[in-house]
Amino acid sequence: MAALGLTAAGCGGGGGSGDGTVTIRYAWWGSDDRAKRINQTIALFEKKYPKIKVKTDFQPYPDFWKKFNTQASGGNPPDVFQNAIGFLRKYDAKNVLLDLSEQVKAGHLSTANFRAGLEKFGEVDGKLLGIPVGSNSMALVIDKNVFTRAGVKPEQGWTWDDFDAAMKKIRDKAGRAGDSGMYGVMYLYDLYLRQHGKAFFTEKGLGFTEADLTEWWTKAKRGSESGVVADTKKVVQAKPKSAVTAELAAGEFTWDNFTNRYTAEGKSEYGLAPIPTTDGKRTGQYLGSLMLSASRRTKHPKEVAQFIDFMVHDPEVARIMGFDRGVPATVEQYEAFVPSDPVAKEIAAYEQSLVDTGVLEPITPHPAGADICESAFLRLAEELGLGTRSVDDAVKQFFTESKTALGS
Amino acid sequence: MGTTVTHAPATGVSGPVAQGSGPPPPAPAPSPRPAAGRRRDRRENLAGYLFMSPWITGFLLLTAGPMTASLYFAFTDYNLFDAPKWIGFGNFTEMFGDPRWRHSVSVTLWYVAIGTPLKLALALGVALLLAQSRRGQGFYRAAFYAPSLIGASVSVAIVWKAIFSDGAVVDRAQSTLFGLDVGGWIGDPQWILYALVALTVWQFGAPMVIFLAGLKQVPQELYEAAEVDGAGPWRRFRSITLPMISPVLFFNVLLETIHSFQIFASAYIVGGGAGGNACGPADGSLVYTCYLYVQGFENSRMGLASAMAWMLLLAVALVTAALFWSQKRWVHYEEAAR
Repeated sequence: MAALGLTAAGCGGGGGSGDGTVTIRYAWWGSDDRAKRINQTIALFEKKYPKIKVKTDFQPYPDFWKKFNTQASGGNPPDVFQNAIGFLRKYDAKNVLLDLSEQVKAGHLSTANFRAGLEKFGEVDGKLLGIPVGSNSMALVIDKNVFTRAGVKPEQGWTWDDFDAAMKKIRDKAGRAGDSGMYGVMYLYDLYLRQHGKAFFTEKGLGFTEADLTEWWTKAKRGSESGVVADTKKVVQAKPKSAVTAELAAGEFTWDNFTNRYTAEGKSEYGLAPIPTTDGKRTGQYLGSLMLSASRRTKHPKEVAQFIDFMVHDPEVARIMGFDRGVPATVEQYEAFVPSDPVAKEIAAYEQSLVDTGVLEPITPHPAGADICESAFLRLAEELGLGTRSVDDAVKQFFTESKTALGS
Repeated sequence: MGTTVTHAPATGVSGPVAQGSGPPPPAPAPSPRPAAGRRRDRRENLAGYLFMSPWITGFLLLTAGPMTASLYFAFTDYNLFDAPKWIGFGNFTEMFGDPRWRHSVSVTLWYVAIGTPLKLALALGVALLLAQSRRGQGFYRAAFYAPSLIGASVSVAIVWKAIFSDGAVVDRAQSTLFGLDVGGWIGDPQWILYALVALTVWQFGAPMVIFLAGLKQVPQELYEAAEVDGAGPWRRFRSITLPMISPVLFFNVLLETIHSFQIFASAYIVGGGAGGNACGPADGSLVYTCYLYVQGFENSRMGLASAMAWMLLLAVALVTAALFWSQKRWVHYEEAAR
């Protein structure tokens, strides 16, 4: 028991062989469906670059980071891997990430033709640490049939009061909780704070006070007591299925590309509704993105750069991936995939509406330790919903844990 | 993970040495041995060490080394990436001040205190039934033992999670049979621990087999004599069976207690596993090792996790010592009983 994973095996990080063929390791998180698509894109890449072999490895999201952490600390991280904003600074501080700007200069990787300034997304302190593969934004994913049954029609610019009224209406008329537990979604709370001129994170720490969080979680408590928010006990047990597809709630705040997953998972028809606002205009939204990052330890930075370049620019890749990782980040890929199925169409229309109404803002920073803050936020909100913790207690605990995580 | 406390031999040990009166004859004075004999000894020793070397190497590399390292890390702030920073007892003071840690201790103690006695009681009960010769006895023994064989596996934990979930078998049974509508146990912070207790109790096969072996050793004539004296079944059980099998009982108590303290896989999987909070709803199944895992692998705090591991070692050693101390009062070895 005391011997805790201290035997980091140092198996080689992708070797070369006599004929100049190199092997790179590519790790990512996601579902089986994503695995199928990714394997197709890799087959395509290997055909085009016969001297590069790609070995893949994937896990569900939380397991992915545990494994990555262990590998990275043992000096054996995958050469190229899927990454997200919450981990950029964390792993930069630990010297894990390769600065890709040199590969851009050398011409192995192009940052041209990215939509809406997305190429800047993976920049931290002047270093290019990740290349976006797609853009997505927070949304309210809804069960369309339930919303229709309750006679609720969400509109761009609706306020939180409108939203609360809609949730009540759904509970009363459709006999289902309106929401699945939005008070634990860190990215939604970030939007809410941004609507009030604050943000979840600053460069170094938390961008809000204990009083702010007390207000947010007091609302949460009232919501679960009145049945507007789904019973946390049931939501917990439905996992990994979402509360919406498990028919516990009519809607859930999450990333817009999750509509794909929900459609595969549930029986109803799913769509997107806009984020409620405070002043009828500002939603606080920004584009988020999954990225591809490289390990600083990779022995093949050039091949890794070529691989990333192919994955974000090749039109055929976009046709295979669809909107699985959000709307493609580059213009060539964006134009290559014209959605034909209703779900993808809806996602495209939603993102277009964000651009058209001009609500998009720049993203706020995620300091090192952000990922731990997020899991604490989720856990404590869950405890609130289950009634094992008071609001004051949960708020205090969150600030204590965040201080440790952010080292402030 | 053993302990150095040894059991003092019971009084009245019979044997050729004890029977002889007076001090044992003095050993012959050591005489200088011929050089050839010494050389042969050395050769024999060398061969011995050579044969043991795989084990010794394994011990040094896989047990002693990591343990020493972990002991060192326990006193450092170590996040796997940066060099460990010596902080003395910092990890330990942080641990005691952490409400989540204290919660994990109480969850674990509760689990041990409820699960272990229940499991042993069931094991003994079934062993008493199976000790009598009946038809199909072999089949029943195998059937009851089977869960212990597969019990530690991940798949069983997944099945368990499914059985005790909302709207699943247990939930439906308790609402139709008792009219209870508490929902699934897995989603309830109060109930999830009992789902884990049920899982460990279900795996009573291993202690049962040991009990069976113990019961076979009880001389039948004792029962016959007691029956002649008019002792009823309960009296026979209390006055003959229990004292006679108390060494076996002690062994089982010890083993199962240590085992219970180390619960991890089932709690980790039933409480969430892949996807979400690994420690159950509202930390309802946050057993000690689960929290250790969270600190080590999710929060990258290997120093703190090492300190926690050593605390667990210390706690288990203390409990073991207490059990050994207590056995003087209730464990009867056969020599003493006669």
